[in-house]
Amino acid sequence: MAGLTRTAGAFAVTPHKISVCILLQIYAPSAQMSLPFPFSSVSQHNRLGLYLLSITKSCNDIFEPKLEELINQLREVGEDMGAWLTDHLINRFSSLASPDDLLNFFNDMRGILGSLDSGVVQDDQIILDPNSNLGMFVRRCILAFNLLSFEGVCHLFSSIEVYCKEGHSSSTQFDASNNKLGPLTQYDQMDMESYAMDKATEELELHKNARGSVPFHLHTAEALFEVTEEQMQHAGLLDTRKETSRTSKKSTEATAVACASSSTLEDTLVDDSLFLRTNLQIQGFLMEQADAIEIHGRSSSFSSSSIESFLEQLQNLAPELHRVHFLRYLNKLHSDDYFAALDNLLRYFDYSAGTEGFDLVPPSTGCSMYGRYEIALLCLGMMHFRFGHPNLALEVLTEAVRVSQQLSNDTCLAYTLAAMSNLLSEMGIASTGSVLGSLYSPVTSTASSLSVQQRVYILLKESLRKADSLKLRRLVASNHLAMAKFELMHVQRPLLSFGPKASTRHKTCPVSVCKEIRLGAYLVSDFSSESSTMTIDGSLSSAWLKDLQKPWGLPLISKDSDSRKSSTFFQFYDHLVSIPGSVSQLIGASYLLRATSWELYGSAPMARINTLVYVTLFGDSSSSSDAELAYLKLIQHLALYKGYKDAFAALKIAEEKFLTVSKSKILLLKLQLLHERALHCGNLKLAHRMCNELGGLASTAMGVDMELKVEASLREARTLLAAKQYSQAANVAHSLFCTCHKFNLQIEKASVLLLLAEIHKKSGNAVLGLPYALASISFCQSFNLDLLKASATLTLAELWLGLGSNHAKRALDLLHGAFPMILGHGGLELRARAYIFEANCYLSDPSFSVSTDPDTVLDSLRQASDDLQTLEYHELAAEASYLMAMVNDKLGRFEEREEAAALFKRHIIALENPQDVEQNMA
Amino acid sequence: MVSKETCRNELRVAIRQLSDRCLYSAAKWAGEQLVGIEQDPSNSTPSNTRFQRGSSSIRRRFSTNESISTPQPSVGFLQAATPLPEEDEAIDGDLYLLAKAYFDNREYRRASHVLRDQMSKKSVFLRCYALYLAGEKRKEEEMIELEGPLGKSDAINRELVSLERELSALRRTGGIDSFGLYLYGVVLKEKGNESLARASLVESVNSYPWNWSAWSELQSLCTSIEILNSLNLNNHWMKEFFLGYAYQELRMHTESLAKYSYLQGIFSFSNYIQAQTAKAQYSLREFDQVEIMFEGLLRNDPYRVEDMDLYSNVLYAKEACAALSYLAHKVFLTDKYRPESCCIIGNYYSLKGQHEKAVMYFRRALKLNKKYLSAWTLMGHEYVEMKNTPAAIDAYRRAVDINPCDYRAWYGLGQAYEMMGMPFYALHYFRKSIFFLPNDSRLWIAMAKCYQTEQLYMLEEAIKCYKRAVNSTDSEGIALNQLAKLHQKLGRNEEAAFYFEKDLGRMDAEGLEGPNMFEALVFLATHFKTHKKFEEAEVYCTRLLDYSGPEKEKAKSLLRGIRMAQTGFPTMDLEHFPI
Repeated sequence: MAGLTRTAGAFAVTPHKISVCILLQIYAPSAQMSLPFPFSSVSQHNRLGLYLLSITKSCNDIFEPKLEELINQLREVGEDMGAWLTDHLINRFSSLASPDDLLNFFNDMRGILGSLDSGVVQDDQIILDPNSNLGMFVRRCILAFNLLSFEGVCHLFSSIEVYCKEGHSSSTQFDASNNKLGPLTQYDQMDMESYAMDKATEELELHKNARGSVPFHLHTAEALFEVTEEQMQHAGLLDTRKETSRTSKKSTEATAVACASSSTLEDTLVDDSLFLRTNLQIQGFLMEQADAIEIHGRSSSFSSSSIESFLEQLQNLAPELHRVHFLRYLNKLHSDDYFAALDNLLRYFDYSAGTEGFDLVPPSTGCSMYGRYEIALLCLGMMHFRFGHPNLALEVLTEAVRVSQQLSNDTCLAYTLAAMSNLLSEMGIASTGSVLGSLYSPVTSTASSLSVQQRVYILLKESLRKADSLKLRRLVASNHLAMAKFELMHVQRPLLSFGPKASTRHKTCPVSVCKEIRLGAYLVSDFSSESSTMTIDGSLSSAWLKDLQKPWGLPLISKDSDSRKSSTFFQFYDHLVSIPGSVSQLIGASYLLRATSWELYGSAPMARINTLVYVTLFGDSSSSSDAELAYLKLIQHLALYKGYKDAFAALKIAEEKFLTVSKSKILLLKLQLLHERALHCGNLKLAHRMCNELGGLASTAMGVDMELKVEASLREARTLLAAKQYSQAANVAHSLFCTCHKFNLQIEKASVLLLLAEIHKKSGNAVLGLPYALASISFCQSFNLDLLKASATLTLAELWLGLGSNHAKRALDLLHGAFPMILGHGGLELRARAYIFEANCYLSDPSFSVSTDPDTVLDSLRQASDDLQTLEYHELAAEASYLMAMVNDKLGRFEEREEAAALFKRHIIALENPQDVEQNMA
Repeated sequence: MVSKETCRNELRVAIRQLSDRCLYSAAKWAGEQLVGIEQDPSNSTPSNTRFQRGSSSIRRRFSTNESISTPQPSVGFLQAATPLPEEDEAIDGDLYLLAKAYFDNREYRRASHVLRDQMSKKSVFLRCYALYLAGEKRKEEEMIELEGPLGKSDAINRELVSLERELSALRRTGGIDSFGLYLYGVVLKEKGNESLARASLVESVNSYPWNWSAWSELQSLCTSIEILNSLNLNNHWMKEFFLGYAYQELRMHTESLAKYSYLQGIFSFSNYIQAQTAKAQYSLREFDQVEIMFEGLLRNDPYRVEDMDLYSNVLYAKEACAALSYLAHKVFLTDKYRPESCCIIGNYYSLKGQHEKAVMYFRRALKLNKKYLSAWTLMGHEYVEMKNTPAAIDAYRRAVDINPCDYRAWYGLGQAYEMMGMPFYALHYFRKSIFFLPNDSRLWIAMAKCYQTEQLYMLEEAIKCYKRAVNSTDSEGIALNQLAKLHQKLGRNEEAAFYFEKDLGRMDAEGLEGPNMFEALVFLATHFKTHKKFEEAEVYCTRLLDYSGPEKEKAKSLLRGIRMAQTGFPTMDLEHFPI
């Protein structure tokens, strides 16, 4: 049908294009002279040329600019001769009094093109090379005009009338204001500017030449990919560990960009002139919009209704441009409108048969006759996944696998497998028996016995293999990331299907995780073959035109100090090196994953550094959910290492930035922080409430939001423990352990075991606690969770000490073994606990006498007390002060004793009256 | 009950008034109804009687519809006889006459120009109407002129804005008659202001009910029964026509049939009513009746093209090649550039298996009318036949986007996706189509088949669908048989036996035989035998003995088994043995 055979080449003459032609006539008059009449310098002449180049290529809007806008831009570009240009333009238009004048005009246009065969070019002659960008533009205009029927010419003529009428009012106004503008020219600066631009255009030309023809349908592939990828990132990086952060000034910047883009959208809405840009430009614009939806889609500053209304407008103008439906789908997806999203997705694929916009596979493979509906299945599956219908998603993806196998569309198969493994690893579906069994006959016999994790592993491997052989770099990269995440989170067991040669390691290996991450990032840096075609044509020109709006007077150097400017500079730079947004997102994701893995392995500084790298380098190009995650990590870090005051201050900033985002994780973080703090302050009622609210955030469906559910019940158990309801706490922890086991959440198992040990320790059953602590340690060892292991060792030592003071020596040894880890990477609480425990050990060790070596104990206690003060952990702080007072009492230092005693009293009072703390928290 | 005489008189005046205002299609409709009333004895002419003789013979043949003789007035009839409006100008101005002549020559702009200073309501209406039509004409032309590779640029009727301004001003000052209100409603509808358009049209038909164009515009704005019921319409016999039409478009076919059979009491020879009745019957799949009715229609009105595409659908369904070709030839000679004619020819080629040609004619129909729904759907069917699924899907999707209630196109989409081995994806479309026509067993069966495919193999869901199909009168009996088989497959023999028995009963009632019957009999015989209900088992076995083939042998061995089992229990009552 129509959608299948549609090709590029919609190039219609519009009044705007005639304006450009008029300006081109000024730029390159057919007469021979070194510098045409109105120009006073070569740089001025060049500047107009650059401007013309930009407006022929830019794609920042679906509609062509009106005469008024054009005149405004001319004022920016032309400076002192802007008025002359405007006058000339308007006069030229008013001289077009009948269709015949149009005909003559285009005949004249032919004159400004240099002839192809004249090899001899005089030195100072200005000739428009017919093969240059501008020359091509003129030729296309002339051709398009020649193709017009007389009716077409009449339409053009009447639309010129409309165009001029609209522009007329503004031009008179301009004439009045023009005199006041005065000469703003600063030649030095301008030369530099145009020099920079020259380089830019050179680069652009290079790109053009290298590329040959720009593929027409690119956007959807990218958008599709971004969806996949985004979900991969979701899947990969959801596990939120405690960590803290430092606020960043970047936040304000990003919102400014978001506002800017949304305001350009508003502008398009008032438009009622109906001149569309060329097809290619519209495609580029749609691509940009898709990126915008992707990046800002879920924040409220980006209004989905405004984008919707212009999409509607666009659809009215070009009903055969099916990609609009896909954009609508993306938009609806991001505004969480299930039915509209579904409807638009189906409509898009019904019309386009999945062939418009997918350049993943060369069309010569022969199955294009049947359309590419398997991609529809893939998209539908991911949509269901996103809306939280895992079972539906699984069904659809299974069908996608089957259909792509049938049609031997390996690319789609690779993507589908990746999506499927995401789904499985994210949702924790318990019953997937039939899925794999039907897919891979060699594994059929064993499929039913495979755990979900093993299936994920198989799927990932398969997807990776396919992607690798098809050279889908970005899929390979994101698969590597997913693999790294998988290796991070799951024990590798030998799989029957992989034969006896498979390794039998029972632990994760940080080296392999690191290797996968690096492989991912490395491949992405090598994206030239696949993604150079992904650059948005004309976006550079759009950016350049946007820069016109900014005041000219600023010298170049001052730009660096101005953060807004520097960010645009970076954008500019981005455009030049043409890293596609999705690629930089992927690299960013690898940094986030690194941060997560360091979090798990227990290196706080490394985690923080990686997060900071992410925020600094990729904050602008990342999607809002990723940026949010990075902030989350930094704030958690702050809370753990700098205390709550800083964390809440940072949270406030993050809230302003992200709370408008739907499904915000910031709320989750806030609840977590409030809960921690309430626990520390001893405000158990509040803690309980927070914990319940946290649980309420999770979906009620089985197997969905597992992380959140585990977290909620973990916190519940801790609250119960703090309330000294040991048996209930133990019950909750036990059932939690069962859940973790059922859904194969290995890492969570380790912390649950540790919690159980704590519960037994607190309830005084040290003997019962010991096996739990040991089990936790062995879990930590096999997963390389060093920090958690250190903390488990601490608990183990505490348990030993709990068995009697004769075990103090052993406890102390254990503690000292874990000390480097605790002091180097542990948070405030853990460190304080370790210090206090050390003091306790010494004090209970009969062979140790306080009077001979008081500083060993006092130093530790002082450290602990300081840490706890910033943490506002009254219970432990009271303990530390108490010990300090006792020691000082023994030593006879009465002044210090009183001091410590007063501190003790203060903490105890605060612990008993937690209400006043609550006031300033809420 | 309105007297025929009143109707006749009202229509006679109305026709004159309508054609005086150049509302020709409304005048045409009114004229058809006028001659549809039983013959006026006062001025019978030979030609008139000849005409009616022909149609009454049809009526005799077509005697299935008993309700004609006893029309049931479904609305309380206290009809305030709407007085016929008097002409505001007894004698038209000279300029009006000229304008009308221009209008009749399709020089719309000229007509409106002539009337530029005339202030009478009639002149104002004609001027605005001519302007509107001029705009429409230009719009159609522009649509073709501006057609780009990305589809049409949205050409609009450029007169709408000024017309709306003028008409709304006139309406405020009361300088507008019911015809002006009709035009105002049309303009508002085009501008997308539906509720205001409805209000204006209701006002128009309440003050002047004989303008069928106003009624049909009003119908197109009644997209749900709620909207229809909320209209505040005066009682008039024209309202019955409207309701019949509106019910039909809302797929309430029985209600609309009731309306039409009532109206037939007055307009016994109305072709319009007969065609509408046929349409409703077609939707109820009463093909034989529909064919008879269309035959009658064609005899009465041999050059009729309207609704003939429906007739061709019936002929297609009955695979009547010759009749279809005859019909196609006839409409081709009458008017080949009507979308209906193209559709009929397309149907003919489709029936002959020449799908490329069929597609060509459907395309031509669509060229003539882009929104011609059935052509899109039919073209989809053709592409399915040609195994060009993407094109089929595209065509169906366009139909659905024109009218989202078109269950055939939704069904076609589902079928196309199922053909491509994407049953799960197809389910969504089947669900959509069932949503619009929940009582059609075919749709339920299609959905059940989708669930049954080896890829999905969701038998429980399939069973649910078949049950729904059974509940909504499954004429072909697929559902019962499938239900039985599915239950058998799932090992639920009791349920299987229940459905096999039901199916058997159905086949007996319809006098059918075939493999299904053998299957049912064999299953039932075995089932009852294993459950020691020898009596029933024997009944089924003996029935099987009537047929030849392997089943007979099977029955024999079963019978032997039964005898063995029974002799094993000597206490068994021997009386029950049919020896």
